[in-house]
Amino acid sequence: MSARPGERAAAWLLIGPFVIVTAVFVLYPLYRSIVLAFSQTFGPGASAPAGWMNFRLTLTDPDFWTALKNTGLFTLGSLCIQLPLALLLAMVLNRPGLKGRSVYRLIIFMPQLVGLVFAAMIGSVLFAKRVGAVNQVLHAVIGIDLDFPWLDVHVTPTLIIIALWLYVGFNMVYFLAALQTVDRSLVEAALVDGANPAQRFLNVIVPSIRPVLTFVVLLSFIGSMQLFELPYVMLEGPGNENRGLTVVMYLYQRAFEQGDLGSASAVGWLLGLALIVAASVQMVLARREAA
Amino acid sequence: MPAKGSEPMGKGAGAGSGRRVVDRLPPWLGALSAGCWLIVVLGLLGGGVALWGRGGSESEIGLWVFSPMHQRMYEPIIEDWNAAEEEDGDDPSDRARVSQSLLGRPALRQRMLSGFFGGLPTADLIEVERTIAGQLFAGPLDAVGFVDLTDRIREEGLLEAMPPAAFSPWTSRGRIFGLPHDVHPVMLGVRMDLIEDAGLSIEGVETWEDFAAALRPLMADEDGDGEPDRYLLGLWPGTLDRDKIEMLLLQGGTGLFAADGSPVIASDANARVLAQMVSWCVGPNRFAADVPDFQPAGNQLKVDGYAIAFFMPDWMCNYWKNELQMMSGTLELMPLPALEPGGRRTSVWGGTMLGIPKTATDVEAAWAFAKRLYLSPELARAWYTEGDIITPIRTHWDDPVFDTPDPYFRGQAKGRLYVQHASQVPTRHASPFTPTAIQRVADAATGLLRYAQDNDIYEVSSLEPEAKRRLEIAQTSVERLMDANLFLGEAEAASELAP
Repeated sequence: MSARPGERAAAWLLIGPFVIVTAVFVLYPLYRSIVLAFSQTFGPGASAPAGWMNFRLTLTDPDFWTALKNTGLFTLGSLCIQLPLALLLAMVLNRPGLKGRSVYRLIIFMPQLVGLVFAAMIGSVLFAKRVGAVNQVLHAVIGIDLDFPWLDVHVTPTLIIIALWLYVGFNMVYFLAALQTVDRSLVEAALVDGANPAQRFLNVIVPSIRPVLTFVVLLSFIGSMQLFELPYVMLEGPGNENRGLTVVMYLYQRAFEQGDLGSASAVGWLLGLALIVAASVQMVLARREAA
Repeated sequence: MPAKGSEPMGKGAGAGSGRRVVDRLPPWLGALSAGCWLIVVLGLLGGGVALWGRGGSESEIGLWVFSPMHQRMYEPIIEDWNAAEEEDGDDPSDRARVSQSLLGRPALRQRMLSGFFGGLPTADLIEVERTIAGQLFAGPLDAVGFVDLTDRIREEGLLEAMPPAAFSPWTSRGRIFGLPHDVHPVMLGVRMDLIEDAGLSIEGVETWEDFAAALRPLMADEDGDGEPDRYLLGLWPGTLDRDKIEMLLLQGGTGLFAADGSPVIASDANARVLAQMVSWCVGPNRFAADVPDFQPAGNQLKVDGYAIAFFMPDWMCNYWKNELQMMSGTLELMPLPALEPGGRRTSVWGGTMLGIPKTATDVEAAWAFAKRLYLSPELARAWYTEGDIITPIRTHWDDPVFDTPDPYFRGQAKGRLYVQHASQVPTRHASPFTPTAIQRVADAATGLLRYAQDNDIYEVSSLEPEAKRRLEIAQTSVERLMDANLFLGEAEAASELAP
């Protein structure tokens, strides 16, 4: 049955804003970024075809690989330290009979409220040489050198620590919500069957929270790969010997410091493709495991 | 016969006749309620206004500045200008009134670049800081967003009125795109209170070697922790001190780029300066420490007397006065110690220009106001009294304001000291690749520091080959980017200009 003309018009009117916004702000920029990735521009007046040069330049640039290494290490640190800790905290807070659960939850979640830029500014003060609180405390407790170069040399661990403080509560809330949906009878049945805590965790709890676990891992992975503000504000740039350079910062430098939008578009596409591939692999693995 | 559709409603016209009007409307209008239609109409109107509306009056000269201090100082001059314009102009549409806007540095940069790259209107006059300027010259000369001021500057005799170094950061391929705001000579601010308390003196200090020798007793370990209680200089080979590294390369080396834009990063002179600098920061002859500028941690170290000397371009005096008021009366200025006997006793750090975007509505009026603003003796005086910045215009240097004793600097006639060194400021050649080059050189310095520590090599002559090697890596990296730029050098002719 065909729609009446009025209904058809109403349908177009309803989806119109979405179509227009998607076309203007998503599809056209995507198309332009493909064109840009294969050209070199200087404003609207000057453009030169560059072929694959932007991709070649990026893939042969040692800075790009440094950025990729830094980002990868940060991502690994985030996934391997932050998520297990968040899950552990969630399990502690999920213990039956725990008093003041919501207060603890609020306290652990609260750093998330300050935001990345503020956390970066605090980090630059806390981890400063000589007068920074971290070095002062560690010097008093274990005699660490007051000039220990957190922000000069040990940049990735410093970023992981700050991100841990910032995001562990955020991820914990997801896990806590998931844990509260775990069927108690399954846990009790496992207990009756003689399963130890590790077995209960691996064979009952993890399968029960797998969808949330997959979601949080994916979210953390993508968020970590997009790391930018934290090192950029804390180090006022990429830091010594590019130790704080991330892929998105590399893209930003290309686009807005060197003014080369073409090369930045090429970096953006490389990053986008890498994320799509990594996320797809992860989803496939998660589905296979679930099956 | 009444026209179709214009039947008189007559008596009894009410709800029934209203329904008839609705019935006559196209059916699609009924798909949304009256409220929804109102939102749609308002949205369309708002969008139209946003798309077609223009900010400000076309008869106004818009000026963008990034410094609240500049804004404050320009206010009276703008008021005078606007008052004079109102008196002169019979027709209000002829008036070139000036309106000033203060934008944060990143905001100004983004809006300016978006304007230039996107062909959108910007202000008629924009103050640009040196670290941004190079980027504006990365394309073909025709595509630079600012008006080429070379001929105007030459005709006005301004080339002779200012030191050549004042123009160099704003010059690309022989063309000048901005009126210089400053010249920014660098001196050394020393904690004379601590030096006098220790019974020491800086009399006769000519080189950095003399400086270290004269003041080394201040580095004694009085608290017995095995480390000097204080160091002599705030300097560290790292990214945060990249501007200081460039400043030292300009003082005793060749700087980063030659006049033709080619990189000279890996020159022997630069390698020697880099090796000298690293020898100050590590090893038995160390006398420099990490005291970052513009950071709370660095300011605390300054107050604590952790270092006793600091690089002070003229504008930095104002930063100290505002951020470190408690240090008043502790510092004195001295010429920079030379890197070699007989060497240059100053350098340069920072810089600002005033440019006229090509999108300016009235270039002539903007140029007239730019001259009034930047060449005015009143403003030159205000720049110094309020901002501690000396003007680049030589004829203004005779102003007695520069001889005024400054209590912050223990009564020194600070302005005169800076003026005396203004003509010796080294030339910095503009390049779109300056920020990258500075970053690479800072990386080379950090790497050299690590090399010295790892290999226990601290002598300047022994560090020089490694310094040279690391600077060559830095230069290769910059050259790689330059080679990839299709708009500069020989490739410029081959670049395609879009219509």
